[in-house]
Amino acid sequence: MPLRTGSAGFGRSLPERGLLLLVVLVVLEGFFLPHGAASSPDVSHQENLDNHREADVGHNFTKKAFPVLSLDYHHIQTPFEISLWVLLASLMKLGFHLIPRLSGIVPESCLLIVVGLLVGGLIKLAGEEVPPVLDSRLFFQCLLPPIILDAGYFLPIRPFMENLGTILMFAVVGTLWNAFFIGGLLYAVCQIQPANPSDLHQLELLPCLLFASIISAVDPVAVLAVFEEIHINELLHILVFGESLLNDAVTVVLYHLFEEYAGVGTVTVMDCFLGVISFLVVALGGVLVGAIYGILSAFTSRFTSHTRVIEPLFVFVYSYMAYLSAEMFHLSGIMALIACGAVMRPYVEANISHKSHTTIKYFLKMWSSVSETLIFIFLGVATVDGPHSWNWTFVTVTVILCLVARVMGVVGLTFVINKFRIVKLTTKDQFIIAYGGLRGAIAFSLGFLLKKEHFPMREMFLTAIITVIFFTVFVQGMTIKPLVELLAVKKKQEAKRSINEEIHTQFLDHLLTGIEDICGHYGHHHWKDKLNRFNKKYVKKCLIAGERSKEPQLIAFYHKMEMKQAIELVASGGGVKLPSAMPSTVSMQNIQPKKPPIAKSAERALPQLTRGREEEIRKILRSNLQRTRQRLRSYNRHTLVVDPYEDGFNELLIKKQKMIDLEKKIKEMNNYLTVPAAPPDSPTMCRARLAQVNASVSVSAKCRHSISTAILLSGRDTDFKPAQQQKGNRICEDPQAYSMKPASGNVPSIQVDLASPQSPESVNVIDEFRRANREEDDQGLVMRPRHRPGGPNKKTEEEGDTAKDQQKLMRCLSDPGPSAEDDEDEDEPFLP
Amino acid sequence: MGSSRSRMDDIPHAQQLIHETDFSAAHLLRLHQRFKFLDKYQTGELRPRDFGAIPALALNPIGDRIIGAFFSPGRETLDFPSFVRILAHFRPTDPNRSRDSTQQELANSRTRKLKFAFQLYDQDRDGKISRAELLQVLRAMLETQVVEEQLQSIAERAIQEADLDKDDAISFDEFRRIVFFFFVFCLQSLEKVNIDHKMSIRFLK
Repeated sequence: MPLRTGSAGFGRSLPERGLLLLVVLVVLEGFFLPHGAASSPDVSHQENLDNHREADVGHNFTKKAFPVLSLDYHHIQTPFEISLWVLLASLMKLGFHLIPRLSGIVPESCLLIVVGLLVGGLIKLAGEEVPPVLDSRLFFQCLLPPIILDAGYFLPIRPFMENLGTILMFAVVGTLWNAFFIGGLLYAVCQIQPANPSDLHQLELLPCLLFASIISAVDPVAVLAVFEEIHINELLHILVFGESLLNDAVTVVLYHLFEEYAGVGTVTVMDCFLGVISFLVVALGGVLVGAIYGILSAFTSRFTSHTRVIEPLFVFVYSYMAYLSAEMFHLSGIMALIACGAVMRPYVEANISHKSHTTIKYFLKMWSSVSETLIFIFLGVATVDGPHSWNWTFVTVTVILCLVARVMGVVGLTFVINKFRIVKLTTKDQFIIAYGGLRGAIAFSLGFLLKKEHFPMREMFLTAIITVIFFTVFVQGMTIKPLVELLAVKKKQEAKRSINEEIHTQFLDHLLTGIEDICGHYGHHHWKDKLNRFNKKYVKKCLIAGERSKEPQLIAFYHKMEMKQAIELVASGGGVKLPSAMPSTVSMQNIQPKKPPIAKSAERALPQLTRGREEEIRKILRSNLQRTRQRLRSYNRHTLVVDPYEDGFNELLIKKQKMIDLEKKIKEMNNYLTVPAAPPDSPTMCRARLAQVNASVSVSAKCRHSISTAILLSGRDTDFKPAQQQKGNRICEDPQAYSMKPASGNVPSIQVDLASPQSPESVNVIDEFRRANREEDDQGLVMRPRHRPGGPNKKTEEEGDTAKDQQKLMRCLSDPGPSAEDDEDEDEPFLP
Repeated sequence: MGSSRSRMDDIPHAQQLIHETDFSAAHLLRLHQRFKFLDKYQTGELRPRDFGAIPALALNPIGDRIIGAFFSPGRETLDFPSFVRILAHFRPTDPNRSRDSTQQELANSRTRKLKFAFQLYDQDRDGKISRAELLQVLRAMLETQVVEEQLQSIAERAIQEADLDKDDAISFDEFRRIVFFFFVFCLQSLEKVNIDHKMSIRFLK
């Protein structure tokens, strides 16, 4: 036993070791290749010279052997190195999750920074110049947008809007407070050290404020990374995260404002006023740009129903354009992205296919996750790389001031906010909000952007920024999880969205709106209601294609849920019958024009046909079905293979609906049939009665229902669902139910196809047809001769069988075998 | 300002109401003003048609249910104290207040709030939301855009989800369980009605 566990342990660790090896290899590679990268200018220059020389030589027409294999690294250097970094990042991410205990204690972001530090250290050890990986351009144009788009697209709108006031308060006032408090005190601290002949003395107020405005903004990347791991409740999550997103506008304005005036050195009241205006422009302009692109994206997605493959692209491209457009005017790109994602989502989701939706989801998650990983690694590398100028006083004071300002800001603001909030923020909440104020790579990148000429203290700033980032990410990031548990802060409830929730939420919304109207108070709900009406009346019609624009939210949600359940059902194998039924539905529909004649002729001919001929026809049918299915799968670059679960979804819904009806109807029918039909005198009588029943049903319900009921009665095939199978079993066990079997046995299922060849049920018939055929191969041949005689005989024979046999038997009976001689006259009631 | 038109003395049983519902005096004044505004014919009582005259409420899909909730069965009129008592359901719950803990449950306790919402569904007041009642609500909320079949399947599903004791209806306990489940943790929507003192003042300006 120990041996076995040992070997198992080895077996398990082997792949991990392999992975580790791979990681090491990549690291080594990344370590040697930047070697080339760093010295690339010289080398390429050298090479250019060589090339020239070669060209000169070439002019002399001295023929050289054709190089069979040549090495040209510089040709592919940039993309190759990018890929390497991405690979390294992904492998790291992979690796951490293979070590369960580690990822439980230390947040991923910390580990990634450490990896970055190691990689940077290795590069440095090799005596090479560390590549300037966390370049601000790269960061703001490539790494940041995916993370923000991911956050914006999947922003939980409702909690966000409900807490918008609080979030804005923290984001705007809180950040301002932080910036001025830290900046002012930092300046003061720098001034009160006359004994210290350090360069701190020369620091003026404006650079201090600029530095403070950089350092005071909570970072969305860091917050996301940490908060996603601690699973905090939704309220706190949205508060901290929303703040980190919305404070971008403040940071942008403060940054540009102070950068502008740092050179001049004086700020007038007018400048302050302009700063406020600028803030409004930056924030609202960003939102406006984002909203415009979001609406454009929604509008575009209205027309993509024929080219599904590029659907996801529109979402990404429009969002990126929104970001770039906003950045172009120095508006808040982050707010533009958030607005864009949030605006387009409801409309885009209604327009695009389910698969495209999944694609968008995965792409966003993938990009944001890789970006995040890269950012943290680069942060580590940049730390090793950066020219540091460590100043104990400055760094310590900065860290302490950051903490103090954050705590004071949160406590003070909460005091004010709580007067307006209905759900008050408790002391615990305040603590988590204050403690969750992590700083991150945005601050670093902004610091990196500073120009040495204007800010002689740039290095010191960078060092201090990095220290603060490290302090928040490492100390706070690592301790926040135990603290959350220690304080027993409410965790996130993994509530499964249910249809009830949706109904009652809407109901309560209406109720509250109504009460507000009665009170004559035009509050939150009133305006929301107005907006919803506007949205339903105009916007949806413009932005959502076709039917779905009129679809109420509840129905859309219901569809989504049904869809999910259906997929789960299929995936779990619970609905064994579904997959078999669905593809045939699709394929059958595709051969609609061809199918009915074949089926009809086959059935009409049935009575005269021999068993062998019948077999043949079935084979033909079956092969036909399969071929059409194959035809569907043919490759096309511009369209995806038709997804049976998607396009057949409506049929699935109808089918499901029918199931419920059927179950009910069977209940009724059972009563109706079994009571009077206890002694089934003659098959004809039974048939007549069944026809009667069918007629009554078709009067009461839709014709389709009666037909499917007929199928069920006749075949009791478990074509639909296990639930129904159960039903069937129950009926079987009911001794009275047997009495109606002869009647049903004589109702051939095929007649249904004749009656309504276009209805979805026709597919079931064919399916059943096939299955019945299969059953027949199993045992039908054996059993049929025995049961060929009239009903009563059959009944007595079957009495002793088990329920399972009963079912099989009934399937046999449903088979339109030789006993189906008189199905022509049976058809009459069904023909329209 | 509003207080000039409506004074504390005008309000019948003002002190008792304040004590009973825990509304502030300013709030009571404001509600009284609204009451008088709705009461077009100055009868001192409201009738369903007075509520129906509110344009926004006429648009509300469950407007008539809400109006109905204000009138106890068999009564056609509503006086001011009842009006305030009904609205007291929508005061935010104040977790810090403990002085009333010994008294009977206040109207704004969570259970009472839920009971109020539940009764809006449960029109025949049999303590259960039957399938038909749920369908009615759905039909009202979704207007006419949906096929009956779909509505039925939604109602079916909703009942299936919530129905614990398999009686094909949602009882109050089941209702509380499902609603509680999401609104305590995520939405807290019932608590969001803001007819708070501050908000009313801001509105009056």
